[in-house]
Amino acid sequence: MLDGQRSVLIVDPSDETREVLQTALERRGLRIFAAGAAHDGLELARSEQPDLIVVDLEAEDSAQEVVSAPFAEQSRTAQTPLVLLGSLRRGWQPPSGGEFVSKPYHYGPLIRRIEELLDTNSSSDESRPCRRCS
Amino acid sequence: MPSLFVIRGNDQGTRFELEEETLRVGRDSSNAIQLHDTEVSRHHAELRRSDQQFQLCDLNSSNGTFVNGKRVRQHVLESGDQVQLGGTLMLFTGPSEETDEDLARAVDIAPPQKADDESRIIRTLTQAEGSRIFEFGADVPQNPWLARARSNLQVMYRTALAVSHTLDIDQLLQRILELIFEWVEADRGCIMLMDPATNTLQPKVRRTREGVRAEERITISKTILDYVIQKNEGVLTSDARQDDRWNPAASIVQAGIREAICVPLQARYDVVGAIYIDTSTSPQEVIRQGGAAKFTEDHLKLMIAIAHQAALAVEDTRYYSAMVQAERLAAVGQTVATLSHHIKNILQGIRGGSYLIELGLTEHDETVVGKGWKIVEKNQNKISALVMDMLTFSKEREPDLATANVNQTVADVIELIQVHAAEVNVELHCEPAAVMPDLVFDPEGLHRAVLNVVSNAIDAAAEVDPPGRVAVRTEYAAQPGHVRIVVQDTGPGITPEQMQKLFSPFVSTKKGRGTGLGLPVSQKILNEHGGRIHVQSEPGRGSRFTLELPAVLPSTSAKTAAH
Repeated sequence: MLDGQRSVLIVDPSDETREVLQTALERRGLRIFAAGAAHDGLELARSEQPDLIVVDLEAEDSAQEVVSAPFAEQSRTAQTPLVLLGSLRRGWQPPSGGEFVSKPYHYGPLIRRIEELLDTNSSSDESRPCRRCS
Repeated sequence: MPSLFVIRGNDQGTRFELEEETLRVGRDSSNAIQLHDTEVSRHHAELRRSDQQFQLCDLNSSNGTFVNGKRVRQHVLESGDQVQLGGTLMLFTGPSEETDEDLARAVDIAPPQKADDESRIIRTLTQAEGSRIFEFGADVPQNPWLARARSNLQVMYRTALAVSHTLDIDQLLQRILELIFEWVEADRGCIMLMDPATNTLQPKVRRTREGVRAEERITISKTILDYVIQKNEGVLTSDARQDDRWNPAASIVQAGIREAICVPLQARYDVVGAIYIDTSTSPQEVIRQGGAAKFTEDHLKLMIAIAHQAALAVEDTRYYSAMVQAERLAAVGQTVATLSHHIKNILQGIRGGSYLIELGLTEHDETVVGKGWKIVEKNQNKISALVMDMLTFSKEREPDLATANVNQTVADVIELIQVHAAEVNVELHCEPAAVMPDLVFDPEGLHRAVLNVVSNAIDAAAEVDPPGRVAVRTEYAAQPGHVRIVVQDTGPGITPEQMQKLFSPFVSTKKGRGTGLGLPVSQKILNEHGGRIHVQSEPGRGSRFTLELPAVLPSTSAKTAAH
């Protein structure tokens, strides 16, 4: 982080999705951490402190809210923007504290949104330089 | 235990067990058998036991003691005898002839050639004729009570037959109403069922006697219906008694009499509806018959019994169809959910691949185009496999037989899936049988079946940490002539609950990565070959799938074809 390279954590069980996002985001100068399982992803989120987290909520056998809860918590604590990929179901509210994208999604808009969130967050970071400086 | 069972009278339904040597029967409470019947004397009769026999002796009663309709002073009872004291009718059941014999030893079924069995058939009776048990023979005494009882039994027998016959409620109700009309002189009748949604009675079938104007509407008093449903009691109504003008000479004679019976359809848990019948007696008939009622309490009782039978059948049928419907809906829902999830993932993959191709083309980077193309291709294979599996599963198809080698088919599968196994760090071993003749089977079908099982095994082995191994081996046994493909993995194993649904279509434990079609399709292909899939699994240790099919040598198959 000290080199100023921003990073994104991708948590998705699909090798293909991880590969597509990684290839596209790396070409935009972002550093990528990737995990297939939610618990591995959480560990990376805590150890690597990425600037943004993308989580596929259908990663595990558990319900979407169960998967999203610890990531939402992590996102609040570390002030990291969170993008949640999942399915809208009847009687289910997308979890708060993150940006919800319904599957199947298009990659173009998703990647643009990730960049926007990173830019917004880094500009707001400038007003709170301490976090970065540490 | 010998007994007297009260079938008519105030004590109806009571069973008196005949334990002691001497039992007195009478109205007084000092009697061992006390009958609540004013026509019975205080000390009416006595039952005396000697050995296995019961002798019934009248104790100089006022109204006498009757056995099977005949007045007796002393009588040795036999099972099935009807004993009547005053207005109480009882059925006698004698002591059973108990034995300690071993029945298997005591009963022999003689082979046809055994000479000492010289019995010949002198009379046969079809099953259908059994129902005529209730018909009168010329030799049967024409006792009116007995006649009625027989007729009632016959109606109940036929009702029981009718309700056990059909699962269609409307047809069932139609039949019940027909039966009622055959037995009672009703003009009009209808059966109403409670609509569970609105909780109101809806007429389901109606019937009018021939000669009665069919177009005439049946008007049923709401008061009576409410009474029947709420109190759960049958009612017999007549406008004759209530009519305070009732007087043989007065206006009732001009108006006639309308009688009706309305009974609840009481099932195990609920009242599911009601049966209503009515009859009108014209003024002329009233004069001719002197105003005698057409519907009696006996009619009401029997109607209640019929209604109960019908109600049980209605409840069973409803329960059954609701269950079938629920299961069907659940199955369709499950199918659609699994399929759409799978297709959605394929679509997501194709979008990802296309996005990379586009990115690579814009940036003139061939490696990115290559990456994207690989993803698109993989998903194309996935969707084509899905379509093939669905076709295999849905169609009644014959295997496309050819002469081929099972070792080769298995080797093709291993080659195809080796890369995938390496990607997920699963060791894949293959040990083909040393001797494997060319056989007749559907090579493409078997390829598909083996591929499904092996790729499941790889997925299972990849689930554990560190990833395990998958061993595939083939076996050929000239005697009894079969081939086995054994696929063993070191995965987490299959739980007993999963095992139950292992071959159910569209049930996948792989969460979106599986269609739930792999194993059912493999099983179908093996079945088409006259083979089977055998599964052994130990949770925590791994699973073994054995695909077994008959070994058909090309020569035997040619012979079979020539026949």
